[in-house]
Formats: sequence, C-alpha cells, structure tokens
Amino acid sequence: MHSKVTKIILGTIGVVLLIAAPLVITDRYVQHIMVLSGVYVLLAVSWNLLTGFAGQLNLGHAAFFGIGAYASALISMHFHLSPWLGLLCGGLVASIFGGLLGIPSFRLSGPFLAITTIGFSEITRMVAMNWVGLTRGSLGLYGIPPLTPIKLGQGTSIEFTTEFSAYYVILALIFIIVYVVSTLHRSEFGLTVESLREDEMGAESIGINTSHYKLAVFMISAFIAGTAGAFYAHYERLISPNMLSTGVTFSIITMVMVGGIGTIWGPIIGAVVLTFLSEGLRFVEEAINLDIRMIIYGVVLALVILFMRQGLVGVLSGLGRFISRNPERQT
Amino acid sequence: MNILEGKNITKRFGGLVAVHDVDFTLQSGEILGLIGPNGAGKTTLINLISGFYAADEGSILFKNEDITRMKTSDINKKGICRTFQIVRIFPKLSVMENVKSGLVERKRRGPWKVAFDSLTKPGGKRSGKGRSDERAAELLNMVGLYGYRDETAENLPYAYTKRLEIARALGTNPEVLLLDEPTSGMNPKEQNEQIDLIRSINDKGVSILIIEHVMRVIMSISHRVMVLHYGEKIADGSPKEVYSDPRVIEAYLGGEARAEH
Amino acid sequence: MESLFLQQIANGLIVGSIYCLIAIGLTMIFGVMNLSNFAHGDFSMLGAYFAIYTTAYLSGWFGWISSMFIAAIGVGIIGYFVERTMFRPLMKRPTDIDVIMLSIALFIILENGAQLIFGATPQMVVDPFQSASINLFLFQTSYIRIFSFVLAILIIIALQVFLTKTKVGVGIRAASQNSKASMLMGINVSFIYSLTFIIGSALAGLGGVLYGTIFAVYPTMGAMPTLKAFVITIMGGMGSIRGAIVGGIILGVAETLGGSYLSMQYKNSIGFIILILVLLTIPQGLFGRGKRHA
Repeated sequence: MHSKVTKIILGTIGVVLLIAAPLVITDRYVQHIMVLSGVYVLLAVSWNLLTGFAGQLNLGHAAFFGIGAYASALISMHFHLSPWLGLLCGGLVASIFGGLLGIPSFRLSGPFLAITTIGFSEITRMVAMNWVGLTRGSLGLYGIPPLTPIKLGQGTSIEFTTEFSAYYVILALIFIIVYVVSTLHRSEFGLTVESLREDEMGAESIGINTSHYKLAVFMISAFIAGTAGAFYAHYERLISPNMLSTGVTFSIITMVMVGGIGTIWGPIIGAVVLTFLSEGLRFVEEAINLDIRMIIYGVVLALVILFMRQGLVGVLSGLGRFISRNPERQT
Repeated sequence: MNILEGKNITKRFGGLVAVHDVDFTLQSGEILGLIGPNGAGKTTLINLISGFYAADEGSILFKNEDITRMKTSDINKKGICRTFQIVRIFPKLSVMENVKSGLVERKRRGPWKVAFDSLTKPGGKRSGKGRSDERAAELLNMVGLYGYRDETAENLPYAYTKRLEIARALGTNPEVLLLDEPTSGMNPKEQNEQIDLIRSINDKGVSILIIEHVMRVIMSISHRVMVLHYGEKIADGSPKEVYSDPRVIEAYLGGEARAEH
Repeated sequence: MESLFLQQIANGLIVGSIYCLIAIGLTMIFGVMNLSNFAHGDFSMLGAYFAIYTTAYLSGWFGWISSMFIAAIGVGIIGYFVERTMFRPLMKRPTDIDVIMLSIALFIILENGAQLIFGATPQMVVDPFQSASINLFLFQTSYIRIFSFVLAILIIIALQVFLTKTKVGVGIRAASQNSKASMLMGINVSFIYSLTFIIGSALAGLGGVLYGTIFAVYPTMGAMPTLKAFVITIMGGMGSIRGAIVGGIILGVAETLGGSYLSMQYKNSIGFIILILVLLTIPQGLFGRGKRHA
C-alpha cells in the first residue's frame, strides 16, 4: 500500500507540474520546444508500441507522421473541415496506410520487413515531393488553418495560435494516448502482443492469430503517429516532404532506444530529453559552426544498443532498486 | 474412435519428398509414439498437423473435420496444441505470463475486441477473463514450476523450459497434444519426471502424439508406435512388434550393417 | 527509338554491374554472419572519398588505379574495425533488431561524419579517360563506363575464383551454408566472420569508386546503394552471390528503362516496387535456399 500511495502522490505532483509548466516558463521559444517534444512523445510512444512491444521493426514511421499531417492539412484546406476533426482524420488516414504496411508483416520479419518499411516511407516521400498539384512538392503546404478557437460566449474565446494553448492540446493528447497504450500494455492485449514479439511460431501454436494482431498494432501505431502529424500541421501551419524523411524515423528510434525500448516510460523520457538536448546542441552548433547533432545521435544510439540496452529507464530503475536496498544511505 | 486421422499425406520441399503418402490414426486417449532416423519426416508431420506447413496431397482430419489447410492458430482453437523440438517459449516474459498467454480466451474474439475489452474492463493485470490466475497456478503446479512463477523464462534451466512449454500448451485445453522430443537434452532423472508428467496428462484424457529419440522413453510410454523412414511409414504397431520388426531394424541399423560389407 | 532502347539497356547493364559489386558484399555478409548491414552503401561512399583524395595527389591512370587499391584496403580496414568493435559483440543477441538498429547508428555516424569532414558539395573522381566517349554502332557511351563494366566483371570473377579455389574461400562458402557445421570441420569461424566483413566492405568500396567516377560523390550518396543492394539481395535470394549478380543486372536495366520510359522522378521507387512484388510472389528470392525443415 505504501508504494501505491507514493505513486499517487508522485503522479499528482507530476501532473500539476506539467499543467503549471507554461505558466512558469513564459519564454515562447522554450514553450515551442515543449510542444515539439510533445509531438515526439507521441511518435516515440507509437513506434515503441509497434517495435518495442510487438517486435515489428518499422523503419518508415515518419511516413505515418507525414501522411497524418498532409491528410489533415489538405482536408481542412480544401473541404474546410474543422482542424479538430482533422486530428481524427489524420489519424484515420495514417491508420489505413498502417494497415496496408501491416499486410507484408504477415510473412516478413527482421531485415525483410525493415527494408519494406523503408521502401514504403521513401515512396511516400517521393509522392509528396513529386505530386506537385496536390502537395506543392518540395515547397510544402503553407497557410494551413490553425485549430479553430473555442468560443466561451460573451465574445471571449480560446485561441490556439499560441505555443501556450497548443501546449495544453498536445498535453491532453499525450494523457489520453499514454493512458490507452499503458492500459493496453498491462492487459491481455499487451501480453498477446508481447508474446508474438517473443516468438511468433510459439504464439501461433497457442492459438494467437499473429496476423490479426500485427495488423491491429500497425493500425493503432499509425493512428497515433498520424494524429501527431495532424496536430503538427495545424500547429506549425507549414509542412514539407522533409517530415517524411528517414532522418525523422531515425530520430524517433534514437529517442526510444535512449529512453528504454519496450517500456511505457522509456519513449516519453527519451523524446523529451533528446528534443531538449538537440535544441541545446543547436546553440553549440551555431557557436562552433559545425553540424554535430546527427553524429551525436548516431554515437548515442550505438552506445545505447551496445552497452545500455534498457536505456534511461533501465538505469533509473536500477538506481531505484539500489536505493531501496540500502535504506540506511538515505538521508 | 479416431480423434486425429491422416490420409495419404505428402509434403515436398523442392525435389525432396519429406513425407510420402503417409496414413496414420490417433485414437482418443492414446499415446502414439513416432520414431524414425534423422530426416525421416517426423517433425515435418507435426508441422503438417499443426498447420505450420500445408500438405501437398492428402488430408488431415480432426474429429472428422478437415483441418488440412487451416491456419495454425485456428487448428489450436479446434483443440490441437504442439510443442517444439527446440523450445519456443517467450524468453523475456515471466514464467507465469508464459502460461497465461495460452489461457487468454480468444476463441471468438479478434484483437480489436480484446483491445476494447482491455480498455473497458481494466484491472485484470494481463489476465484473461475469469479465473486465469488460479488456472495458471494449477498448470504450473502440475509441471512443478510454481516456485519459479515470477522468474523470467530465459533464466530457467533447459529441462524446465520444456516443462513450461508443455504447461503453456495445456493452457489452451487441447484434446490432442503433439510433443516434439519432449525429453531431449535431459538427464535420466529428468526424463523419468517428464515421462510421469506425460502419463498424467494422458490420464486426464488428452491424446498424445510424441516424437522421441530416446528409445527407453518411447517404448515405456507409448501404447502404439509408428515408424517413419525417408518420409514413408514402414511400421505401425505395439512397441514390442515394432521393436522386433526387421524393416525397422534395417532402417535404424541399415547404414552400419551395409558399411560392414 | 530502337537505338534509345539499346542505349538504355547498355546503361542499365553498366550501372547494374556496379550494383552487383555492392550487393555481393552485402549478400556475403548476410549469408555468412546473418547480419543485415544498413550502412553497407556508406562503405561505398567511403571508397569514393578515398578515390577523390588519392586522385587529387596522384594524377592520371596511375592515380585512378591506385585509388582502387587504396579504397579497397582503406574500406576493408574500416570494415574490420567496425565488425570487431560494433557488430561482433551483438552476434549473440537473440533478435536481429539490435543489429539492424546498430547498423543504422553506423549509417548516421558515417553519413554525417562525412558531411563534417568532406563537406556537402558533390565532387567527382577524376575520369582517367577525360570523359572521352565511344560510338559502338548500336549505342554511344563513355570509355569509363565500358571500363567500369569490364572491371566490375573482372572483380566478380576474381572473387569467384577466390571462393572456389582457395581454402579460405571454401571456408567462407561453408560458413555461409552452415556455421555450426563449419565449426565442427575445424574452420575458424571468428576469422571467417572478420574476413567476410572485410571483403564485403572492400567490394562496396570498389563499387563506390566506380560509382563515383561515373556519377557524383557526396556524403549522403550511400543511402540509395544500400537500399538498392537490399532490393537486389532479396530479389536474388539472401546469401546468394549468383542471385546478387542476376538481381543487380535486373535492377540496373529496370531502373534505366523505367527512368526513361515511365518517370524520371520515380526512378528510385522502381526498386521498391520490384521489392514488394518479389516479396509477395517469391519471398525466398530467385536463388534463395527455401525454408529449411527439421
């Protein structure tokens, strides 16, 4: 019971801090980075669901992000659909593509699936680059409408053009999605998905229809990434085919690996830490005039895979165990 | 009554005929031993029954229902479960979770329904409906692994992983259990424990098809023995008959006997 | 029209022969070590830069030929270092996800490291024929393309001789068939692994020199050859050298034909479309070993 109470207290403190953060941190640039890290949290959580929990190596995750963004942007620009519904539409369209990419996974695994997913995202990017009539090619889409204001009556309304208000939107999305994903992970759904990661033939032998589960996980994962993309489109109001590049996927992968793959907290921690770290590195880069950010990502990714397979979460829980085993050291 | 029946089963891999025109029956409540030299097609036969391969010719009937072209998971839902020559447990999951993964009632629920139920009826920690914790504990007690329930499966000694795999298979409530070398890599004491376990499973009414290289095991446990050689069935009868069948002796000793000449 | 067609076939064969070199390296490493290296094309990029710097100091024919040797040796040494420090410690991990992700880390490091060291501006390896071209009745091409094609074929033949006639080469082939059996046969598997990785990366490096003489050299040039080498390898059957040769030619020709008759923008997608078709119809590839059964 004691640990449960501590958990509730810590959780409450965490939620209060997250809600209060933009009231304390009023610098718009920092707020912008906070929103961006929120987008990456959704991307990392969704990639982790597919690769960390279900074991389906997806190297084309940026495609879902981009598809969600383009879908929602185009629908709201051409059909004047509310961007709020666009968040849902972006997720749904990405989820359809997720289902399509899930089909090859019935028969392919490891490097075969990996190369298929890269191929998928490269084709998506080329379409975004070359279908100029629809996407304006490499110029990208601009003038995407922001999330529409919510009217409170008497002429007052909440605008969503500021970093401050966008922060609360992404925070709400994160709360909902992390709640859903962690509940699924703790349930029999999570157990089934992890068993297919552990041994597909073994899972099939005990009656798990691995194809159906893979399809479901691909679609859920793509839905989350697509929603993140849709949010990003209405927040930045400018998107380009760059967001579909493998570089974005590799950033997501590094975040999850650094935080701890196959855990609930790992992707969240990794996304926040690395988004802020890479912004910090941007200043270093400007100071020394060298592009070192991606190299550092690569080196960190290699080191984590080689020496720290459990990521930051592994280190933290190891530390937690160490402290609780040595109560006398606590002061 | 035949619970499982194979008719004229043939399976080819490229030019190689792994199983050629094999007929077999498994009676309800029986333990059928399946033996033969390496490469005789024994594991291929289990792969065919359990749906990992589809037979090129012939048909497989479970309780008179054709299951030849069914998917492995559907065959399992019908009531057939298998184990593997090289165990296929879930190494990073706990022993308890390994067993529970087989208990989840999926018979009429797709992943979307399972996900939906998981969200609307939370609280069950990785458990399925109903009394899955007690059932898992019961199965672990049966194979003697209850004490290791929270251990990560990959940390178990090899012999225990084989028992865990059997417990997981039993969780799916099979009427037919296909065991692929359940005592391989075990010392004689562990083998005897495994024999007792298999007998106790059989006593509960589960029909068993067992592949085994250790003759002592197969001869003591089987009600009937079937012999494959180069993909063809060359003998089928009581352990005693098969043991003295000249064709079987030839198949096992043929190579060496000829080499002496 | 007809001459354009022949022209494209010729171009396809030439590009395909370079793809072959790179893909053979990839398929050998996969066959022997069961390792999927997504940074393979970056070894080609490194090879091309070795050639850029060699030809900057040594001019003419001598420079160009030396650059081939220097690229092969230099990339081979880097390959050895990478295999020993990065991939070897992961060989015992049960899933290949870690290995693939590590190779992606390597890809990020090499690509961005090259950007830092060599700069992003595209360069070209100096053509020893000074861009002279030749009219071969049916089609027109440059000397360097013909020469590259012949050289690629000679390297492949030399590799085949090495793999069939020498004891070490036979050992590599044995390890590719079954590493456990070769361990029993007394072949030093650890040595074979290193050697295979060295040869595989050196082949990629050589391919890079040829590629960089015909096309341009820039830090991110490795990504496409990596993906194409994978497409070729999957098409031909993972681990099959014969498959890599046939697959390389098919992809080279399909790309040049598709690029000129269908759409230039989507030229690089052709490989992926072939990939999806192959995976859906013959997942084991043209020369792949079928699924093994116990």
